[in-house]
Amino acid sequence: MPMTGPAPASQLDIAADLLTLLRDSTTEPRPDSQLEALTLAVAADLPVLLWGEPGIGKTAALTQLATALDLPLTTVIASVHEPSDFSGLPVVGDDPATQGVPMAPPDWAVRLVRAGRGLLFLDELSTAPPAVQAALLRLVLERRIGALRLPPGVRIVAAANPRSSAADGWELSPPLANRFVHLQWTHDHEVVVRGLGGTWPRATLPRLDPRKLPEAVEFARRAVCGLLAARPTLVHRLPTNETRRGGPWPSPRSWDMTLSLVAFATAAGSARDVLSLLVRGTVGDGPGLELLASLDRLDLPDPEDVLADPAGAVLPERGDLRQAVLDGVVAAVRARPDRGRWDAAWAVLVRALETGAPDLVVVPATTLASLRQQDWDVPATIERLAGTVALSRRADRAAAASKGRR
Amino acid sequence: MSAHPSEEGGRLDRDKLFAARLHAARARPYLATALFALHTVESKRVPTMAVDRHWRCYVSPAFVDRMPVEELAGVWVHEVSHLLRDHHGRGDRLARERGLTGVGDRLRMNIAADCEINDDVYGDGLVQPEGAVRPWRLKLPEGQLMEEYVGGISLGALTLDLSWLDCGSGADGLERAWDLGPDGADGLSEQERDAVRFRVAQGIKARPGSTPQGWQRWAEEAFHPSQPWRDLLGAALRSAVSGSGSGDDYSYGRPSRRSAGVPGAVLPSLRRRPPRVCVIIDTSGSVSDGELGSALLEVAAISRAVGGRRDLVHVLSCDAAAGVVRPLCRAEGIPLVGGGGTDLRTGFEKALRSRPRPDVVVALTDGQTPWPAAQPSCRTVIGLFPRPVRSRPRRENNPEYEPDSPPAWARVVEIGSASGTR
Repeated sequence: MPMTGPAPASQLDIAADLLTLLRDSTTEPRPDSQLEALTLAVAADLPVLLWGEPGIGKTAALTQLATALDLPLTTVIASVHEPSDFSGLPVVGDDPATQGVPMAPPDWAVRLVRAGRGLLFLDELSTAPPAVQAALLRLVLERRIGALRLPPGVRIVAAANPRSSAADGWELSPPLANRFVHLQWTHDHEVVVRGLGGTWPRATLPRLDPRKLPEAVEFARRAVCGLLAARPTLVHRLPTNETRRGGPWPSPRSWDMTLSLVAFATAAGSARDVLSLLVRGTVGDGPGLELLASLDRLDLPDPEDVLADPAGAVLPERGDLRQAVLDGVVAAVRARPDRGRWDAAWAVLVRALETGAPDLVVVPATTLASLRQQDWDVPATIERLAGTVALSRRADRAAAASKGRR
Repeated sequence: MSAHPSEEGGRLDRDKLFAARLHAARARPYLATALFALHTVESKRVPTMAVDRHWRCYVSPAFVDRMPVEELAGVWVHEVSHLLRDHHGRGDRLARERGLTGVGDRLRMNIAADCEINDDVYGDGLVQPEGAVRPWRLKLPEGQLMEEYVGGISLGALTLDLSWLDCGSGADGLERAWDLGPDGADGLSEQERDAVRFRVAQGIKARPGSTPQGWQRWAEEAFHPSQPWRDLLGAALRSAVSGSGSGDDYSYGRPSRRSAGVPGAVLPSLRRRPPRVCVIIDTSGSVSDGELGSALLEVAAISRAVGGRRDLVHVLSCDAAAGVVRPLCRAEGIPLVGGGGTDLRTGFEKALRSRPRPDVVVALTDGQTPWPAAQPSCRTVIGLFPRPVRSRPRRENNPEYEPDSPPAWARVVEIGSASGTR
């Protein structure tokens, strides 16, 4: 090292320079479904529980969330506190018999209440002793710390390690699990590598659109009620299996939470992936996926609209959805058969054939042909469907050839 | 490896390709949703037919020309099976867990995934395509999972002649040159993929009679992968010993050491009382020593992890009569006596009578036993060695005998070899 400069910098100053260089990173916008889901759940004022291994950036995510919601962040590491820090310290006064023993709240709670707003992050819930956890759950669910009640402007997020990695283990009983939105927090390999290389993601967080609010509520109610009316057994289903303990499960309470979340995601214009995380984290995978599937069906064009304007109808690209629409169209004709609708349905099928895979048209075409009434002439367009008949025969021949072969 | 170069290929015979899909959907109605959800992409760079993780299906025109319709239908089902069974996700996990990073490793995964699929998807109206890999060709047993096959596959003479073996990134997780990637057109988003898989699983569960067992198992586990029993047993035991009344917790029995700093406040202090665990071992003939040994070691390890000491784990062997309650001092020193019929009720009685009283009773059994009528006075975890219904031994003197199922007051964990990877 050459000796340069009149005043050689001290080792600590050089170290500070190195640290500055290390911390010099840029950000790039990147969609982040987990963070978006978390933001929506927090905005909807539902208790969120982040499940994630230690050290994967839960705190970093919360910092970003606090910035996005413009709330001051208070982090409380549950495992280093005592139960009285959450339920309040009993302070014996002059005359307990007449005045009672007040439960004094900790300083951070007093500050939060005074500020009236903030984001409270309860970290390491699962490594705290049971009594601390019990006190914390009262805080999360009832928003009470000792004698204080947290104002509505304070939002609470808790984090826990998955039970397989929690050293001294904790798991939720089903009634408790039912009160939370469970979000699995995982790290994205690509994001970490890029971040360590100097570019961290900057999530663009959802913004609720004030004009969409009534429409969002109406949509959410229609979606959830539509599903539960058709599937009454989904309303309440206590987990019986050891594997599913401590996770989300459906009950009227969690469906109510789901309804809020659907409304929030709709008002924010969030992607289905985000809604999927939220819904499955609230009522569980099975019921959640059924709700999402029925939302997909709500998105499909109405068969009556398609029949009214076969030329202008937009059929979905995805084969399974397209077939659902075609089946719906044929079913609509079957329900109210008349000549005009029958012809329109043929026009739809021809359109489907021209814009997508031919095998999807075979079943609807066969069914539609069987709906013909005596005085209906076969429309000219039907000739364009001759190919599907050949296709169907070819599949029949293949089926015959497959018989007996393995 | 014979990758078939397809430069000679002309235009894609769509009618043939889709006639094959129609046949496949008719032969396997429960897979129709998934088959139709696949988005086909014509590609001359693909040797045969391949899928990516976004549910695109790349098709070589030359391959379609070469294959008869009925075999092509089998290929459709094969490819969609890779996606339904999440072979790319499982391949990625395998690569991470076992450090399988090379291209050759991914080929082994592809072969292993093919073995998992091919042993039960064909037949019953669907022809096995020419050259499909079957486990027996690699001298491997049938009916296993991809994860189990991978270890047994080495690239060598046996795998040399495996044709149409590039099923794409959907089969093993490794990106291919022809992949359109996540931003390409017409891929399915993660939520859409889950929705399709879910609909297929629902369809299979709705008509269990008509689907092969492999698919039924898949449908059961598609969205609830079975967890390794060690985790479950650990969680049950931990929650039992750390519940209020056992293990360490706060007590007001003595003032907290923080009390001095906060005059006037009453603070609880942390007191540790290590949990006492009593393990009742079913030593009737139907449980193997290997199974018992591993389960018992697990219990000991967990109770040590939660702060217990080895001398606080007690073991009681029990068949029709209960043995003596002994401390577990050496893992290999457990006296396992018994071998006849089972009645765990005496074991429970004896365990609860022992002094000092246990905080948790863990029963390791195959469930061929009557259970106590009332809930014992301490937390109970039952580690159940599952037995297939058919092979259950009947008591000779009473053919009507059916053991009761484990009671609802206990936490029941099935102990088995389930790797929980599907």
